[in-house]
Amino acid sequence: MLPQRLKKTITDNPKKLANLIDLVNLPSTLREFVGQSQISRLGCFMRVWSYIKTNNLQDPNNKNVVKCDEKLKSILLGKSQVELAELPELIKLHFPKAPK
Amino acid sequence: MGKIPPSFRSAISNPFLRRPSSLVPAEASQSTVTSSAKPHYLPKKISNKKPSQVSGKVKETQNSDSSKTAKALTIFKSPSLTDAKNVFNSMIKSSKMLNDPRFYNTILQSYTSISTVNDSVAFLHHMKKTSPSFSPDRSTYHILLSHSCKTPDSSLAPVHQALNLMVSNGINPDKATTDIAVRSLCSVGRLEHAIELCKELSLKHSVPDTYTFNFLVKQLCKSSALSTVYNFIDEMRTSFNIKPDLVTYTILIDNVCNTKNLREALRLVSVLSEEGFKPDCFVYNTIMKGYCMLSRGSEAIDIYNKMKEEGVEPDLVTYNTLIFGLSKAGRVKEAKKFVGIMAEMGHFPDEVTYTSLMNGMCREGNALGALALLEEMEVKGCNPNSCTYNTLLHGLCKSRLLEKAIELYGVMKSGGLKLETASYATLVRTLCRDGRIAEAYEVFDYAVESKSLTDVTAYSTLESTLKWLKKVKEQSPTI
Repeated sequence: MLPQRLKKTITDNPKKLANLIDLVNLPSTLREFVGQSQISRLGCFMRVWSYIKTNNLQDPNNKNVVKCDEKLKSILLGKSQVELAELPELIKLHFPKAPK
Repeated sequence: MGKIPPSFRSAISNPFLRRPSSLVPAEASQSTVTSSAKPHYLPKKISNKKPSQVSGKVKETQNSDSSKTAKALTIFKSPSLTDAKNVFNSMIKSSKMLNDPRFYNTILQSYTSISTVNDSVAFLHHMKKTSPSFSPDRSTYHILLSHSCKTPDSSLAPVHQALNLMVSNGINPDKATTDIAVRSLCSVGRLEHAIELCKELSLKHSVPDTYTFNFLVKQLCKSSALSTVYNFIDEMRTSFNIKPDLVTYTILIDNVCNTKNLREALRLVSVLSEEGFKPDCFVYNTIMKGYCMLSRGSEAIDIYNKMKEEGVEPDLVTYNTLIFGLSKAGRVKEAKKFVGIMAEMGHFPDEVTYTSLMNGMCREGNALGALALLEEMEVKGCNPNSCTYNTLLHGLCKSRLLEKAIELYGVMKSGGLKLETASYATLVRTLCRDGRIAEAYEVFDYAVESKSLTDVTAYSTLESTLKWLKKVKEQSPTI
């Protein structure tokens, strides 16, 4: 089901892959958080996720929820708490599709 | 799960190249030789690192004079020719092994490995000049040849240079020369050059032996259309009278089976019979694998019966293939029957057998039965491998036995076993569906940490699963 289909999407669709791993010039808000001027969407996700882990930002009562600190808030639409499930989508907002 | 699990694949890959010749560069022959024996999921590189021709000699010398050769191996710190000459000059002053050609070959090999072809040739001249007792032999030139083949170049010029040097010193290229050149070229992905050189050497010096020939056929099969392979075989037959043997046919059959072209496979079987060969166990196993991959259990059983009729003794691989195929085709009962038969024939079910059975049971939705089988195999002293666990994990998730799946995942994690794409995706999806997003993230972390999957695959799966979850939730808020 999903796995095969997914595999196909990735191999059939180099653009999708590029969109994930190409380095992108960052807007200033994100630049501050990441500490570098370029990063891929995947790298950015990894960075944010590890930031959440090292700073113990997951709600102890419900691990699916992240309580944002000021720094995290600045890149996640100013929300004080986000669902883990929406994290990839929120990060994707910083990586608009390249105009074709 | 539609494909053959990796552990299984290694079990049925064909041992085409059964010659562990000392003249064959190790990495080319060893991997194929060792893969025949058994599936191995744990440290798999042990046997691969057989010393090659030259390093084998290093070992021998090491026994006699360990301190000196150990020095020789690391002695060239820079690729500079002048430095190397100086090092060599000081070495021959202190060495007692000046009459042993292996000593020089070792030094040459050591220098060649960090230097260019031209410098190596110059260094060889220097060795000859400074040390009159040294006369380069065939392996000396083979060192240069192998190196020249591995040098990235758009033409065969460096290779010709090495060959000319060899010929001008009175050593004619032989079968071993061809073999070394061909394998070295292929090891760096220069298959077309390898074929060109092989034909050229066949014209000028000697035709390749069957091992080189079959090696080339196998490489060609991997990368080219079937017609190209057939053309090559025809050309070698008409020009140089090299006839395909049973191994060649097995390679071809394996290749067409892998592309699911069973009609061609059967045609090849009739051709090989016409040529006077009798199909052996490997041929049958290969065809059976072809049927099994297409879930055509009845045909697989037919092959088994045919083997019996023809008096070819089925081996462990035959039974494992059959049990895998039947399980895949959803005929677990029959598969189990064959487990009994194989035990009677003196082949004990191994982890591949059990994994195939579990695969079948999971397909039937009997994941708990498969889990029970895990205990049974452990009691019988058969160690499950990572494929076994992945199969079970996948099955448990599919049967919505999430708690059991998480437990099993814990076992895998503590054992450092890798996740496969399918089982990873299923586990992540099942966890997300159950609202346990944080745990799905944890599995993602493990997949990345354990290097089970690439970051990209692991993340894409997670991302698309979450996307899918959102969609599902929007459609029916109560899932």
